[in-house]
Amino acid sequence: MSTLTISRAQLLDPSQGLNEVSDIIIENGIITKICPTGTAPQTNDHFDAQGALLIPGLIDLSCHISSIPSETLAAAQGGISLLCTQPNSKPIVDTPADVSSIQQASVQAGNSQLFPLGALTQGLEGDQLANMYSLMQAGCIALSNARAPIKNALVLRRIMEYAKTHDILIMLTAEDHDLSANGKMHEGPTANRLGLAGLAEVAETTALAQQILLVELTGCRVHFSQISCARSVEMIKTAQAGGLPISADVAIANLMYTDCDVNGFDSTFYVQPPLRSELDRKALLAGINDGVLAICSNHQAQDIAAKKAPFAASEPGMSTLDSWLSMMLTLVAKGELELDSMINACSILPAKILGFDTGLKEQQQANLVIIDQTADACYLAEDLASAGKNNPILGDHLKGKVQLTLSTGREVFRI
Amino acid sequence: MTRHSDPTQVQLTADGRLKHFLTTEGLSKDLLTEILDLADSFISTQERAVKKVPLLRGKTVVNLFFENSTRTRSTFELAAKRLSADILNLDIASSATSKGETLMDTLWNLEAMYSDMFVVRHADSGAAHFIAEQVTPGVAIINAGDGRHAHPTQAMLDMLTIRRHQGTIEGKTVAIVGDILHSRVARSQIHALHTLGAKEIRVIGPATLVPKEMQDLGAKIYYDMEQGLADVDVIIMLRLQKERMSDALLPSEGEYFKLYGLTEAKLALAKPDAIVMHPGPINRGVEIDSAVADGGQSVILNQVSYGIAVRMAVMAMAMSGQAAEQAARKNETLVSTGDDA
Repeated sequence: MSTLTISRAQLLDPSQGLNEVSDIIIENGIITKICPTGTAPQTNDHFDAQGALLIPGLIDLSCHISSIPSETLAAAQGGISLLCTQPNSKPIVDTPADVSSIQQASVQAGNSQLFPLGALTQGLEGDQLANMYSLMQAGCIALSNARAPIKNALVLRRIMEYAKTHDILIMLTAEDHDLSANGKMHEGPTANRLGLAGLAEVAETTALAQQILLVELTGCRVHFSQISCARSVEMIKTAQAGGLPISADVAIANLMYTDCDVNGFDSTFYVQPPLRSELDRKALLAGINDGVLAICSNHQAQDIAAKKAPFAASEPGMSTLDSWLSMMLTLVAKGELELDSMINACSILPAKILGFDTGLKEQQQANLVIIDQTADACYLAEDLASAGKNNPILGDHLKGKVQLTLSTGREVFRI
Repeated sequence: MTRHSDPTQVQLTADGRLKHFLTTEGLSKDLLTEILDLADSFISTQERAVKKVPLLRGKTVVNLFFENSTRTRSTFELAAKRLSADILNLDIASSATSKGETLMDTLWNLEAMYSDMFVVRHADSGAAHFIAEQVTPGVAIINAGDGRHAHPTQAMLDMLTIRRHQGTIEGKTVAIVGDILHSRVARSQIHALHTLGAKEIRVIGPATLVPKEMQDLGAKIYYDMEQGLADVDVIIMLRLQKERMSDALLPSEGEYFKLYGLTEAKLALAKPDAIVMHPGPINRGVEIDSAVADGGQSVILNQVSYGIAVRMAVMAMAMSGQAAEQAARKNETLVSTGDDA
């Protein structure tokens, strides 16, 4: 029997209507008591939060994991309780055996809990369905084709129909790869000036329109991963208002930066989907403040050689697990993101999308994080647990330091 | 968000001298004029029996061409030789990178040979800028064309051509015709023309080859060539690559010529003393009629000879900028060791 008492924590959970300084008792990984501060009995294992913020642990709807020990440690240090890993790893997660090997490695690492996303199509090749039902049986939380193209609309329709049959949640990225035309950054003035091939907004919106119409036809539950355009937010809102079972998220990079940041050909800003205009960034933030969009880390660690190349020849991705929460709190400090909306977007809404019952309440498994919200956070390369140091925030002054992370009832990080 | 190096500033020393030549963007009118003036002075040396000047004596220049280009490479080679430098030609397109060596590996290997200057051509936009950020201080990078981004020496030789044949760039109306989308030459020309005081810069071509964002660079877009050529002082024709047809950007060479090919009839719409330019190699009958290419208003061959002088000028300026920066750095070290406050 293990008991942890957390005292003097500022509990904030909009899903429970909770915003008060309390003590909280966790026994064997279960929250057994939330009580007025100063009333919890003393236990051996005691954490004095000294008024720091305690919120439901972060749930990451999309990250790319190459090495499970280092990357799940980065997540634990970053206040992330649960994280969904995309199937485009090596090997590609398209069989039950791949799923169980990830689960075992996650248990062995003992950090934040990983939830594998299985492949929608065999080898992510986009033409033949993977064993979707078996992958779910093996423990996948949902299925995704990462950012790999699905061959055509007919295959996509069949995927949706089959998923609907077995009530499987699928995650799609909206991208017409023909219209993308091998574009490397947002099609706009900066791309034109730098002479980099542009990736037009319509590559996302035309694909999204098609996918929404297919959801209407099939009734399949679809989560759109990493939308990047203002227009897409509008389309998602309209479709939701029409009662379609869809949800969407946006990558933290697209909330922090715009295509203008690519100005110096800095490959750290080469991400998929591309960083778009300031207008898009503002619309995505509004979508979060409205409670429509979730936020994901879309973490992708790259080694130094993969990024040390001319922009278009480098590998895409940003290593964000360590700093995801600090990046969001920086947006909160700037007044661009509301704190309640942030908690909703990175924890409550993802839980709802994945069908988890979480939240700060008694008799609930403890997934939570304590953060010193206003502390200065300056990350240097050596501070990142992730193998990837490819993040433009290095050396910047962000907000928020994680003090304690619990994942599925286990303490995975304490300062 | 300003921490990242501005591509237009990487090429300058702290006191604003040229130390690399990566792009015409962001360079001052004075600096661009200095390049033109120095190139002008080299043109007279080129007409002498002994053409060499000793500005780069003892220096090693490496021609680092990741994309094949006989013409540009030869003019850089001649320019380096006439500045008395040792020159090494490396045809990387067919050697190192095809064996899996990364750009960084190639670079480190070449640096180990103690080169003083790299002339770089690469298919990726930003490649020269990337190399300039990575090389040891003291080594100058000259961009000989990076992707669709910039080809600053070509643009400057075009500026020199305009200045020599029209007297000045200020107040002139210049039309650039053809595949603007894929053209690093056009982008570099637009920046240079803008800074040097051209009255109007027009880009002419179909919407598939003329991005609307060209307006943000200060160019005026024309889809109709007759309208676009009206009363211009300078016409710059761009080369049309064959693959534009297979990429569904154009229906055929025939239709392109009909709409955007420069004929004597269309040339008549420009000012009577207008000059016709082309960065070469020309496609006769595709973007330009032979009669115009070889006609009295064409200065295409003059451009080629000015190319050597302009390349000599930027090589000499960048090398001296590097030397000045190295000297300043040495002084700083001496001062800082004596003064901790």
